[in-house]
Amino acid sequence: MISNDTDLMAHLLRRAGFGANRNELEEYLAMGYDGAVETLLNPSDPRNMPDDLIRRYHVDQSELRDLPGSAAYWMYRMISTACPMEEKTALFWHGLFATGYAKLNQARSLLNQVEMFRRSGLGSFEDLLVELSKDPAMIVWLDNNENHGSAINENYGRELLELFSMGIGNYTEDDIKECARAFTGWTLGNAEYMAIRAAKDSIWPYGRIAWHFDYRDEDHDDGEKTFLGETGRFNGEDIIAIIVKQEATARFVASRLFQFFAADEITEAGEKIIEEMMATYFSSGYQIRDMLRTLFHSEYFQSEEARFARVKSPVEMVVGAVRMAGNYQNPYLGIEGVSNTMFYMGQGLLRPPTVEGWHEGAEWIDSGALVERVNFVAKELSDVSSPGVRSIIDRLEAGGDQGVLQPSDLADGCLDLLGPIQVSDETRSVLVEYASRLGDLDLNGHQPGDQAEQRVGAMLRLVAATREYQLA
Amino acid sequence: MSTQTKSPEIVLDYVKTVGIVNNGYNGRGFANPYDIVVGGDGRIFVLNRCDPLRAAAIRIGICNLDEEYLGEFGRGSGTGDEQFVWPVAMALGSQNRLYITDEHSHRVTLYDIPSNAPVKYLTHWGKHGAGDGELNGPAGIAIDSSDNVFVVDQHNSRVQKFTSEGEFIANWGSSGSGEGQFNLPWGAAVDDDDNIYVADWRNDRIQKFTNDGEFLAAFGSPGDGEGQFHRPTSVAVDAEGFIYVADWGNERVQVLGADGSFQLLLKGEATVSKWGEEYLASNPEEKAQRDVSNLIPELPAHLNTPYHISSQTEPYFWGPVSVSLDHDGRLYVTETNRHRFQVYQKR
Repeated sequence: MISNDTDLMAHLLRRAGFGANRNELEEYLAMGYDGAVETLLNPSDPRNMPDDLIRRYHVDQSELRDLPGSAAYWMYRMISTACPMEEKTALFWHGLFATGYAKLNQARSLLNQVEMFRRSGLGSFEDLLVELSKDPAMIVWLDNNENHGSAINENYGRELLELFSMGIGNYTEDDIKECARAFTGWTLGNAEYMAIRAAKDSIWPYGRIAWHFDYRDEDHDDGEKTFLGETGRFNGEDIIAIIVKQEATARFVASRLFQFFAADEITEAGEKIIEEMMATYFSSGYQIRDMLRTLFHSEYFQSEEARFARVKSPVEMVVGAVRMAGNYQNPYLGIEGVSNTMFYMGQGLLRPPTVEGWHEGAEWIDSGALVERVNFVAKELSDVSSPGVRSIIDRLEAGGDQGVLQPSDLADGCLDLLGPIQVSDETRSVLVEYASRLGDLDLNGHQPGDQAEQRVGAMLRLVAATREYQLA
Repeated sequence: MSTQTKSPEIVLDYVKTVGIVNNGYNGRGFANPYDIVVGGDGRIFVLNRCDPLRAAAIRIGICNLDEEYLGEFGRGSGTGDEQFVWPVAMALGSQNRLYITDEHSHRVTLYDIPSNAPVKYLTHWGKHGAGDGELNGPAGIAIDSSDNVFVVDQHNSRVQKFTSEGEFIANWGSSGSGEGQFNLPWGAAVDDDDNIYVADWRNDRIQKFTNDGEFLAAFGSPGDGEGQFHRPTSVAVDAEGFIYVADWGNERVQVLGADGSFQLLLKGEATVSKWGEEYLASNPEEKAQRDVSNLIPELPAHLNTPYHISSQTEPYFWGPVSVSLDHDGRLYVTETNRHRFQVYQKR
């Protein structure tokens, strides 16, 4: 396997996962690129931290009443899963179908929505939209529990068309009304009681009661509707069947997948791939997995142009660094403080700012967020007691000249083992100059936490502070 | 709600539910209760583990069966005197001494809880380690008729026996799934013959030992059938030898005969406590909708697991972490996620 293959696999794992340490990277390299794509797109056993262990030690993550513990619960899954694409897919849909805690006061049901994204997020877009429309958290988030046969509430119908499928400009105001009529009666069990509790943030008498979908036939408007030029006594599933066959929907889904998994900006070459993904969308029966397979196998995705073409989101930054360092693999007192870090960087799990989700790309970076990003990653990667960092030290030692590394070897080795990360000549010279201050690094006989190991930790900290580390 | 064998040797009648979620730092109600001890005078001591947002409120609340809140003690999260980080379980000695384990600070804290005088902090003991008498994650605790104290030393995969003053006497157990071996054990109990029972949590069974640690029997296997367990957390044994098990992962309680035979199981049938009624009386709009709601709903197939069912079905146990008995034949089931306990009376 030549170096270029290593770079490409690392690129794939940054996009279809949260990056990879060298052991993981070698496992995927052994599969070959095609095998790795299929493994990532077909999650099997995630081998994540078991729920029973989490519930035993974290009572907040057993009850899932409040936001901090609930976000930490999902983060545990992200940092311990063997199927990173499953979590990355859930994160993608969480950003696109953005549903937030602030209005719901119902973390358990939000996490049920995330589980639905895991279950259905790589399958048919039609099935996904049906599940989304039946998702209790979404129903309350966009007021479909207030959408009655006798008096419609257009909120869900509007966002289903504008933000979740076709995009503005591809339907009329009448289509929105007809869409809303079709979803009347789609509500949640004990809707009125749950709505009062959500509005009052009532936890009494015995904590939260999680939500489930309920269809009220007597509240459904079964009359004739005309939607996007088709007429019938449509229910919600019929509306979704019409939505998914629109070219605008194919373009919307393909573009959003492209921007999340390939590049923040859509270039001319990227536009060509989006069109190929649209073709796959129709030929596969709206299968997300097939669209992503088209993307990952495209020449564009594998080209230099797509490398480091995305700014890492806060979740990618935090989860990637924790996975690289190998930390928090068991229940840890204070774990919610770690997941809160993502919020301080601008992306709190389960709390997107609005139904439009987060503004991604370069907007992740402002001066405050940058400090948070660099500080967190630097702290994780410079702790030489972390198992992942210890593994890096061992590999550096093995790769040196009888355990001795010249300054350039130390800089290049750290860049390689944290990615490989491609940096500018200017960045590399800064790293080498820093390493040169103390001369060659002799890792022979290194002991946990000794000065030689601390030098590696310092170099890893410096790499974490580079511009290039901010990119995926 | 209960199911039972065709001819059960034991019948349990639901009595009442006590509790309400406590969202503040002190006062009436409970915050993720983890264990209960009932004093000889009828006082009920409730260990509030508390989530991280409310860690400053870690405490032991006191109430009675008439749902009067009598007070509380403990000084929140920390490692100072009377402080706890991850408290797990309690046991009551013959001299009104209350023992409380803390699996994070690796120690046992003692209080004197006399009937007619204020609760008094006595001391704490325990040192982190794997040597004799050292602790790594003390969980369940039980006391025999001679006031010997048995501590489930979860991460050391053993049970340790101490004097009432915390002096090491003996220990037994190792990591594994064979007889006398443990996998993250949790709760403990002593029967009237001073035999020791341990909820062998990740082996999904209850193990029974002599007072000196000789293996006698193991009850249960992994699963959700009758007599099977999923992560049992707590065990209690009554004077007739019936074994009560908090079948936590299955969100239920099971009762076994002295020989380990399945007798009955409880899923929970909570009603609104006195404190809950008071809340609803002052929130009539909420009460009106609650009264016409179905709190035992049919759920979609993807939510058909004990955990999800309990998260949506308020009367059922949710996080039934502990089973405790009093001397009048009552069973108390502590529910972490519902901030309450349900009381059953043995006929």
